[in-house]
Amino acid sequence: MSLQDKLAGLIDERGEQFRVDRSVYFDPEVFEAEMAALFEGGWIYLCHESQIARPGDYFSTRMGRQPVFVVRRKDGGIGGFINACAHRGATLALHEHGNANAFTCRFHGWVFAQDGRCIRIKNEDTGGYAEPNCREQFALTAIPRVESYRGFVFGSLRADVGPVTDYLGPTRPWIDLMVDQSPQGLEILPGASTYVIRGNWKMQAENGVDGYHVSTVHRVFAQTMAQREEKLGLSGMQRTEAGRITGNVSSAGYDFGNGHMAIWAQHTDPTKRPIYAERDRLAQTMSPAHLDWLLNRGRNLFLFPNVLLMDNPSTQVRTIQPISPDRAEVTVRCIAPIGESPESRAARLRKFEDFYLTTGMATSDDLAALEATHAGGYGRAARWNNFARGVVGTMYGAQNADAMAIGCEPASSTANWDHETFYHGFYRYWRERLLQAEGR
Amino acid sequence: MSPRIDLEVSALILNEARLIDLKRWDAWLSLYSEDAVFWMPTWRDEASTNEDPEFELNLMYLKGRAGLEDRIYRLDSGDSFASVPLDRTTHVVGGVLVTGGDTERIDVQASWIVHTYGYHGTTTRSGSYEYQLRRSVEGLRIARKKIIMIDDRLEGPVDVYHV
Repeated sequence: MSLQDKLAGLIDERGEQFRVDRSVYFDPEVFEAEMAALFEGGWIYLCHESQIARPGDYFSTRMGRQPVFVVRRKDGGIGGFINACAHRGATLALHEHGNANAFTCRFHGWVFAQDGRCIRIKNEDTGGYAEPNCREQFALTAIPRVESYRGFVFGSLRADVGPVTDYLGPTRPWIDLMVDQSPQGLEILPGASTYVIRGNWKMQAENGVDGYHVSTVHRVFAQTMAQREEKLGLSGMQRTEAGRITGNVSSAGYDFGNGHMAIWAQHTDPTKRPIYAERDRLAQTMSPAHLDWLLNRGRNLFLFPNVLLMDNPSTQVRTIQPISPDRAEVTVRCIAPIGESPESRAARLRKFEDFYLTTGMATSDDLAALEATHAGGYGRAARWNNFARGVVGTMYGAQNADAMAIGCEPASSTANWDHETFYHGFYRYWRERLLQAEGR
Repeated sequence: MSPRIDLEVSALILNEARLIDLKRWDAWLSLYSEDAVFWMPTWRDEASTNEDPEFELNLMYLKGRAGLEDRIYRLDSGDSFASVPLDRTTHVVGGVLVTGGDTERIDVQASWIVHTYGYHGTTTRSGSYEYQLRRSVEGLRIARKKIIMIDDRLEGPVDVYHV
């Protein structure tokens, strides 16, 4: 069977249903196609500018299967390169992050400038090269497109893509709601946690915007927090906002197009958010609708294909790195408004540690749930994952006045984060990109 | 430090490991003072960990024994996806060394390897402990425990009983 034929059969959207064949999480051929078409064939998130703030700062990561690094140049611009010496391919960037005036290959000692030019070949004069000035032929291979939106850095290994701002489309007001919390912007805080999931990368993508699991998987988190707060008599931002876990609150799910998805849920008590202390200052800088969205709603945004931005009482950047069909590496980082008060910073970090880490009391349960779906998926006689919730009641386009109030027009939306129709957008776009790449 | 104190310290630390492996949570918690700090920092880069737990990200930073009690509440609830069934663990603690202090407060360092078996299969993680022990009427109690875990790419849940 050709890949096209295979892909055509993986999503069943006949009639009022939407089912996805569980082989999308297991098939090695699908995985290879995803790496080429999605992770190495278009925009993906790379890092936040605060991680490469000073000239020479670099950050190494991967785009699909390809090792890359991004670097802040002396001129303030951001460059990105395949992390491989132009000579024999040894990786150049020594560490996951660091600072370097130039990149020296540890294998044969070749040196590359921050703009990728080769500036030294060891023993060049006795090298017996056919061409004089052969250094010029040996520049590093650049990531063809590196662009930043309000501090979030994206790259594409294909040059023929539109600007990243177009790619992000209606998700931009959501990103703005995070960035606008401080006049100085946001910073990634030092320290991170990486975990390996025994499951497919798309399961992490799905889980990050799955409102439906919250009231079952995280019920125990809410109960644990409730007994803590009663026992210790905690107040204000020392408490955890668990209303969205247990309560019957307003919520919604959005398909933003281009595979981007989001959910939000109303806080029962916004004073638990560290940013709430800044409400008077923020009210001077934005519309009442924006302020309401910022203070009163916990928001999870997935940017296709590899990053989740979470703006809840704590705030997170979660990146997804596929390893194989049945493994993915996920890194969580705390992102925070620059210059916030020490009380807010500490409260934000403690909430992060309680919830968002595999050493915490909620993400660990998410991972167990996600890995259970992977384990169950081996039951190939049971073929379909069902995403039917919300098929009745989904709104399309500009019908959503609530979203339009902050200038974002979802492709579709549903007034309940328990619904699943935003996954339809994710999988349709996923299929479109894979088919497009096959056709090339 | 006298040999008697060395023995008393070793007994406490090895007993803690045993109580965790036996999942005798109440007895384990009783080894901690009420204001005990339980701290496991994140790695900042390949060589160093975060050192300011209040204003930097930690893997765990539990202030007061109540923080540990929250963890046990969740483990025992039967409602935590990651904790049913609980993993089996074996703590191997060695290199117990009194590094400072006086008769009332003792600083101790040790190394650990924890072998875990469970839903995720078999995992081995390791690191070091830095303890501050304090003398109380009930005997020697843990006032502070800092845990360095050298593993920084985690498979499966890592809760208070895995380290």
